[in-house]
Amino acid sequence: MDGPGRLREPVLITGLGTIGPWGGGSGLLAESLRAGAPLTSEIDRSARYHLPEGACRACLVPAGQLGEWLSPGEARRMSPPSKLAVAASRMALRCAGLTGGEEAATAVVVATAFGPSTNTEALLKQILFEGPESASPSLFMESVANAPAAQIAIALKARGASLTVCQREAGPLIALGTAAAEIAAGRAPRVLAGGVDEMTPLLHALLDRFGALARCGQDGEEMARPFDRRRTGFLAGEGATVAVLESRDALAARGGRALARILAWGSAFDPTAPPTGWGRGHRALARGLARTLQRAGLSPTDVDLVVSGASGSRDGDRLEAAVLRAAWEGAPLPPVAAPKAVTGEYGGGFLGAAVLAAAGSPLGPTPGFGEPDPELGIVPWDGTPLEPPSVVLATSLAAGGAAAWVVLGQGMG
Amino acid sequence: MAGAGGLVAVSGIGAVCGLGWGAAPLWEGLRAARAGFAPIRRFDPARHRTRLAAEADDPPPELRRACPGWRRLSVADRFAIFAALEAVSGAGLAARFAEGAEGGGDGEVGVWFGSSTGGMLESELFFSDFLRDPRRARLSALVSQQVNGPGDAVARHLGATGPVATLSSACASGALALGVALEAVRSGEVEIAIAGGSDSLCQLTYAGFNALRSVDEGACRPFRADRAGMSFGEGAAVLVLEPLARVLARGAEPLAVLAGAGSSCDAHHMTAPDPSGQGAAAAVEAALADAGLPPEAVDFVNVHGTGTPLNDAAEWQALRRVFGPRAEGLPLVATKALIGHLLGCSGAIEAVATVLCLHHGELHPVRADGEADPDLPVSLVFGEPLPLPGARAAVSTSLAFGGSNAALVFSRWTGPAA
Repeated sequence: MDGPGRLREPVLITGLGTIGPWGGGSGLLAESLRAGAPLTSEIDRSARYHLPEGACRACLVPAGQLGEWLSPGEARRMSPPSKLAVAASRMALRCAGLTGGEEAATAVVVATAFGPSTNTEALLKQILFEGPESASPSLFMESVANAPAAQIAIALKARGASLTVCQREAGPLIALGTAAAEIAAGRAPRVLAGGVDEMTPLLHALLDRFGALARCGQDGEEMARPFDRRRTGFLAGEGATVAVLESRDALAARGGRALARILAWGSAFDPTAPPTGWGRGHRALARGLARTLQRAGLSPTDVDLVVSGASGSRDGDRLEAAVLRAAWEGAPLPPVAAPKAVTGEYGGGFLGAAVLAAAGSPLGPTPGFGEPDPELGIVPWDGTPLEPPSVVLATSLAAGGAAAWVVLGQGMG
Repeated sequence: MAGAGGLVAVSGIGAVCGLGWGAAPLWEGLRAARAGFAPIRRFDPARHRTRLAAEADDPPPELRRACPGWRRLSVADRFAIFAALEAVSGAGLAARFAEGAEGGGDGEVGVWFGSSTGGMLESELFFSDFLRDPRRARLSALVSQQVNGPGDAVARHLGATGPVATLSSACASGALALGVALEAVRSGEVEIAIAGGSDSLCQLTYAGFNALRSVDEGACRPFRADRAGMSFGEGAAVLVLEPLARVLARGAEPLAVLAGAGSSCDAHHMTAPDPSGQGAAAAVEAALADAGLPPEAVDFVNVHGTGTPLNDAAEWQALRRVFGPRAEGLPLVATKALIGHLLGCSGAIEAVATVLCLHHGELHPVRADGEADPDLPVSLVFGEPLPLPGARAAVSTSLAFGGSNAALVFSRWTGPAA
């Protein structure tokens, strides 16, 4: 690395594994993104955590997706996010053409916003209502935030660094940047990097009580509607996306091709943001975005496609739009895609969409978008076919103030 | 800012723990081998298998006045903000970060924090109400509950506009955060890194580790024959990292140099360490390589030393792998014996303890409770501080749940001619 977040040698993304409401595999995610329809299903409200008028839908992983990737003996020891993360990691390694035995020096960097919520909830119920002496050791050991990263390492015998990033919506891009830094600094030849989260009824209900989730619109649809004047919140999602990152030397040594390149990464913070909301510091964040592009020797006008983290949040999308417009300083924005309208927020689908876009997979229309918000001034891409982008900018602003960007380029053979 | 050999200085430190609010009471307590353990007050421990922990006292009143929105800050947030303010003040940066001074500049200040549970203590109070009757619970109690709460609270308080990230890899979190921060300063990504960790006691971890039978009913006794588990503590620690040249240019005196960081994973078991010590040794070796130092250059080790039978045995194997026959005579500092295990903050506060030992030229002792373990022939410092004025380099280890290992190498700052 010859500067902050700047690479002398490219870091390559050579494999991608995803599991989410689209099913298991990046091919299914790509199909869903092309189709541009939200992948929602009914959330279980039977525990009565939800308000009667609250949100009803979430982007949930359908049952039966893990059998190919996890043995029953492994799965029984794991929390839901650990299962998703290990399955996505194995998919990613297969995608990269890695068949095992190469993982000893591999590092793992995983982001999670909420950690293993099922286990945490169950453990809290035991402690609070049955007494602390009822706490289950097996629930506890899989309640820690780093359980998914640890289970990936155990399953794959990956003995490099094991890092878990908790920075809400910005976590997956921070994880990708942190992983790229591991390779750039020569600390690991290969890193498995990504994001994982589960969406439990309790978590869904709490997000809804905070006013974060999309509610039913006048059309009777509970949709995310990023950048739309009628947006009311995001769709909560779950799943896991893991990318294999390698140095050019590591890839050259074994042969193979890259899906995409990481050109630069960067992150920033808006100290005006309250702990659970968005702030007003768009100009400072825009300078952070510009610095990230500069690290790749690029300016905003070099970007062919923005894969935006806009999710349908009223304040979050407003800030995202302000940051983009400030960074472009009045110049026309390139196409802006908002894949969280399909995948939901959390669970790594957004990260998968960004990598797929850089790999040349077309993104479809943004479901739910119909009425531009004049305050935002952004109309998400309508799905008209584009030339494969040379430079993709992925953006993520997090509630609480964090922001992260990753600049991706096309892969190389 | 380049120069001074690209070294990264520790220009300020701050700490809160069971020995007091501030790095000075920490050092005073450590030197006196005063253990901070007492019956728990944070929650009712009556039904827990064990009852002791090293709790922090009530915060100083001036902190409340300095923190807008005090009531909405979690206990871990408050610890973190105090430690950060003390650290930037010690670094000579208090004016830069004074209220309204926009000390975060334009992306030059970043915050890297480690935490295991963030505001879980407050979350437990919320869920105790919510899970009984959702109508009774106040959502505001959850505002700072997330793991990233303490790091974000520090960034917000200091006005940081650079990178902010929380790492949550259990007991290695704080050390890992320092390692990432070190790289950010080295690469020029930031001019000032505020790095550390914060965790408060909570029932989830206290009951969880008790369920694993990993908690000693008395004060923990790392590396002793009759050791029976860990003891808990709580608090925060922050180190200000800057390019050494920048610190010297403003006439400040570095406390130490953070010379290297390394990490690894056992890839062995969720809760049990690899008994061979291979993974932990790999982290230490990586940190020494990063620092450009051979094992022979290390004068002492601040060990992870939880006091659990398996962890201490595995750590001893790791020390033998790295230091060979020298491991038996190498002075070891076991900070957890006095302040307890601060979980996601432990790597950060033990980094502060290591810096203090290097800076003062003496190693803090622990109480000589229990008998020596003939299988672990370590040289723990007992009873009185061990003068070591010539100490030049030290290692601090953090070995976590889930097999995540981290090691930091600090070297003493002896002046430009050194």
